Amino acid sequence: MTQTVQIIILGLSLGGVFALMASGLTLIFGVMGIINLAHAAFIILASFITFGLFKYFALDPILSIVIVMPVMFIVGVAVYRIFFARSIADPNKRGVTVLLTFAIALVIEGTLGFLFSNIYRSTSPSYASSAILFGPYYLPEAQFYATILSAVILIGLWAFLQYTRTGYAIRATMHNRTAAEVVGVNVDRISMLVFGIGMALAGASGAMVSFLFSVYPSKHWEFVAILLSLVVLGGMGSLLGALVGALVLSVAAAFVSSYYGPVWSPVTFYLALFTILLFRPQGLMGKKAEF
Amino acid sequence: MSSAESALSQKSALGDSVASRRFFIAFLLAATAAFPLLQVAFGGLNYWLHMLLFIYMNVAIASSWNIIGGYAGYISLGHNVFFAIGGYAAAILFAYHGISPFISAPLCGLIAMSSGLLIGMVTLRTRGPTFIISTIALVLLTKILLDNWRYVGGANGMSLPLLDMPVEFVKLPFYYGMLIIAVASVYLSFRIRRSKFGLGLRAISQDETKAEVAGIPTRFYKILAFGLSGFFIGTAGALWGYYLTYLSPAIFLSILVGAKFVLMTILGGRGTVAGPVLGAVLFISANEFFVSQFGATELNLAATGLLLILVLMFFPEGILGTLKQKGRLPKILDWD
Amino acid sequence: MAILDISGIVAGYGAGPDILKGLSLAIEPERSYCVIGPNGAGKSTLLKVICGLVPAREGAVVFEGDRLNGLRTDEILHRGICFVPQDRSLFPDMTIRENLRMGGYILKDRREVDRRIEEVYGMFPILKERNSQLAKTLSGGQQQMLLIGRALVLRPRIIMLDEPSLGLAPIVSRQIFDSMNTLKAAGITIIVVEQNARMGLQFADWGCVLDLGKAMFEGPSASILEDPRIEELYLGRRRSRAGADA
Repeated sequence: MTQTVQIIILGLSLGGVFALMASGLTLIFGVMGIINLAHAAFIILASFITFGLFKYFALDPILSIVIVMPVMFIVGVAVYRIFFARSIADPNKRGVTVLLTFAIALVIEGTLGFLFSNIYRSTSPSYASSAILFGPYYLPEAQFYATILSAVILIGLWAFLQYTRTGYAIRATMHNRTAAEVVGVNVDRISMLVFGIGMALAGASGAMVSFLFSVYPSKHWEFVAILLSLVVLGGMGSLLGALVGALVLSVAAAFVSSYYGPVWSPVTFYLALFTILLFRPQGLMGKKAEF
Repeated sequence: MSSAESALSQKSALGDSVASRRFFIAFLLAATAAFPLLQVAFGGLNYWLHMLLFIYMNVAIASSWNIIGGYAGYISLGHNVFFAIGGYAAAILFAYHGISPFISAPLCGLIAMSSGLLIGMVTLRTRGPTFIISTIALVLLTKILLDNWRYVGGANGMSLPLLDMPVEFVKLPFYYGMLIIAVASVYLSFRIRRSKFGLGLRAISQDETKAEVAGIPTRFYKILAFGLSGFFIGTAGALWGYYLTYLSPAIFLSILVGAKFVLMTILGGRGTVAGPVLGAVLFISANEFFVSQFGATELNLAATGLLLILVLMFFPEGILGTLKQKGRLPKILDWD
Repeated sequence: MAILDISGIVAGYGAGPDILKGLSLAIEPERSYCVIGPNGAGKSTLLKVICGLVPAREGAVVFEGDRLNGLRTDEILHRGICFVPQDRSLFPDMTIRENLRMGGYILKDRREVDRRIEEVYGMFPILKERNSQLAKTLSGGQQQMLLIGRALVLRPRIIMLDEPSLGLAPIVSRQIFDSMNTLKAAGITIIVVEQNARMGLQFADWGCVLDLGKAMFEGPSASILEDPRIEELYLGRRRSRAGADA
C-alpha cells in the first residue's frame, strides 16, 4: 500500500509540472486553433537559457524564471507576428500551420544542437539531489518545489482568465471568435497576447525542466507526444482538462514505470493518445478541433 | 484563322505536348537504365551510382507519400514507419531464413501495406491536425518497440551480410532495384491520379464532409490510400537495409527522416504526379551539396526546417504547383 | 438628416469577386428597416461592411458625419452601431449573465454594465429567470433573445440583425419580432436582414430590396408588400430564365 501511495505521490507531482507544460499548448489551441508542435521545443529552448544563466551567472533555475518568462513572452509575440498573424483567420490553412510549427521545431532543435551539441545537460542546484520526507513517503526536493511553483503559476493563470477584463476577452475568443469580434474584442491582439502567454508558460516549465530532467535538443519530441496525449485526453482548449489529463496520465505512467521499467513510461502516453483519438477525440472536456 | 483551323492547331499543339512529354519520359527511362553501362565500361562511378539510387529511392518514397499526403491531403509525419517495417521484415527474412531481400522485397512491401491498412483503420478516424499528431506518436511508439525488441537487436540494430559481388558491380542490383521501384511508384501515382479513386481522394482533401455527402466512400478510400502509400516505401526499405548492411531504429525512425519525406513532396508540389519526383531530385541534390560543404551536423536539421518554413509560407503548392497556378508549367513536366 | 449614409459601396470577401457593386442607401434615424433579396445579393455583406468586419473596396459609410470605413469593429461599436450576426454567435459555455457582460466588453465601468444588464432583464424577464444557465442550454428563441439583449447592453443608436428568424419555428420567429418591438419603442434604429420577407416587412416600417449587389428598390414596407414589381423581381427572373431555355 505504501508503495502504491508513493507511486501516486510521484505521479501527481510530475503531473503538476506536465500540466504547466501543457497549459500553454492548450491555451494557444483554444484561442487560435493552432496545434503548436513546437511547444516542447520552446520549452527545451527555455531550459537551455536557464542552463546558460546557471552556468555563467550562477543563477538558481527557479529564480531565473523571473527572467526567462518575460524573454519567452517576447519570443512568443515575435513568432506569432512573423508566422501566424496572417494565417489563423483561414481555416483551410490549419494543416499548413501545423506543419509550420513542425518546421519551427526542427529549426530550434537544429540550432540548439549545433550551438550546444547533443550532450545531456541539466542544471544542478543544491536541491536537485535531495529528497523531502513526509512520514513513510519521500518526494525529491526539486520536484517538490517544481510542483508548488507550477501550482502557483497555474492558479495565477486561472485567476487572470477568470477575473480580469483581458482574461474575459481571451475566454470569449476561445469560445467563439466571431462573437468576440462582434462585441468589440480585438481578436488579433488577443491572439498575439495569448501566444506570448503560452510561450511564457513554456518558459517557466523549461526552467523547471532544466533541473528535473536531463535535457538535450531532441528531447522535445518525447515531450511533445506526452503533452499532446494529455491535452487530447483532457480536451484541446480546456485548461482544466489539461490538468486532469496530466494528473491521470502521469500517475498511470508512474505505475507503468514502477512495474515494467522507466523505458516504458512514455509508451503509456502514446497508447493513451491513440486510444482517445479512437474513441473520443474531443477528450473529456474539450471543444472539437475545427478543421 | 477560322475557328476550325484554330481548333485543329490547338489539337495539334496538344498532341505535340503529349508527344514531347512522352519523349521526355522515354528519354529519362532510357538514360537511367543505360547509365550503369558506363560503370561497367569505365568504372569509378560508384559515387554517382550511390547518389542516383538514393535519389530513385526518394522518388519512390515521395511519390508514395503523395498518395495520402498530397492527393488525400492527410499529412503524415511518421511515414518512415513503413520504411522501417519493410526494412526490418526483409532483414528478418534474410538473417533468420536466408531469403534475399531482392526476392522478399515485394512481400515486405505487402507487409508494410497491410500494416498501413490496419493502422489506418485506427488513425484515420481523426482528421487534420489530430491525424498529424497521431502519426508522430506512431513513429515514437514504433521506435520504442523496436529499441526493445531483442530479436532484431534492439537499439543496437542488426547487421546483414554483404552482397557477394565484386566492388565495381555490387551497387548495380541495388541501382536497378531502386529504379524499378521508383518507376513503379510513379506509375502507380499516375494511375491513381487519373482514376475515380484519385478523384475521390482529391475531393476528400478539398472538403471531406462534402465528399462523404456526395457518396464517396471516404473511410475506405482513405484507408486504401494510406495502405497503398506504404507499399513502395516498404519495398524500398527492404532493399535499403540490405544496401546499408545495417539497420537500427535510429536510422529508420528518426523524426528528421519523416520530415524529409514530407519536405521533398511539398517542395516539388504535392497533389501532382511529377511534383514528388522533382522535389526528391532537387532536395536530395541540395542536401548532398549541403552535407559536402558543411558536414552532416545539426545544422542540417535546422536548414531542413528553415527550407520547410520558406516553402510553406511562400510556395505552399510547391514548385510545380506554383508554376501550374501561374500557367507557366513546362509541358514536359506536367504528368498529371 | 440621415443617421447613416451609405454611398457607392463596393465590397467582397478576401480576394474574391465584388459582392456589393455600388450600393447606396440612406438610413433615417429611429426607423426600422428590413433588407430583403435573393441569396448572394449581398445582404449580410452590407451589414458586415457597416460594422467593420468586411472592408469596403470603394464607397463610404458615414455615420452622423463621421466616416466609418477603415475603422475597427470595436471603434464602430463605440460609436453606437451594434451587429448581431447570423450564426447565433453566443458564447455557448458562458452563462447568460456572462454573455451579457461580454456585450458590455468595451465599456470600462463595471457597475454601469451591471446596471444596463438589469435594464435588459427588465425588457426580457425570461433571461433574468435563467441568468446562471449556460447559453448553449437555451432554446433557439431564447438564444436569439439573449443576442438582442447582449446588443442592448451597449445602448446602441443602430442595431443590425442578420436573419434573426433563421432556423426558428414560425411561432418562435413571431415572438422574436414581437420582442424586437421593444427596440422600436426605445427609439433605436433597426436594420434587419431577412429571408422571410413577409415577416420582416410586417415588422419593419421601411423595406429595401437588394439584388445583384445594389439597392434596387426601397420604400415603406406596406407598399413593398403589395407591389407587384417586387413579386416580379423575386419570381420574374425565374420566369424569364425559363423563357430563355425554351
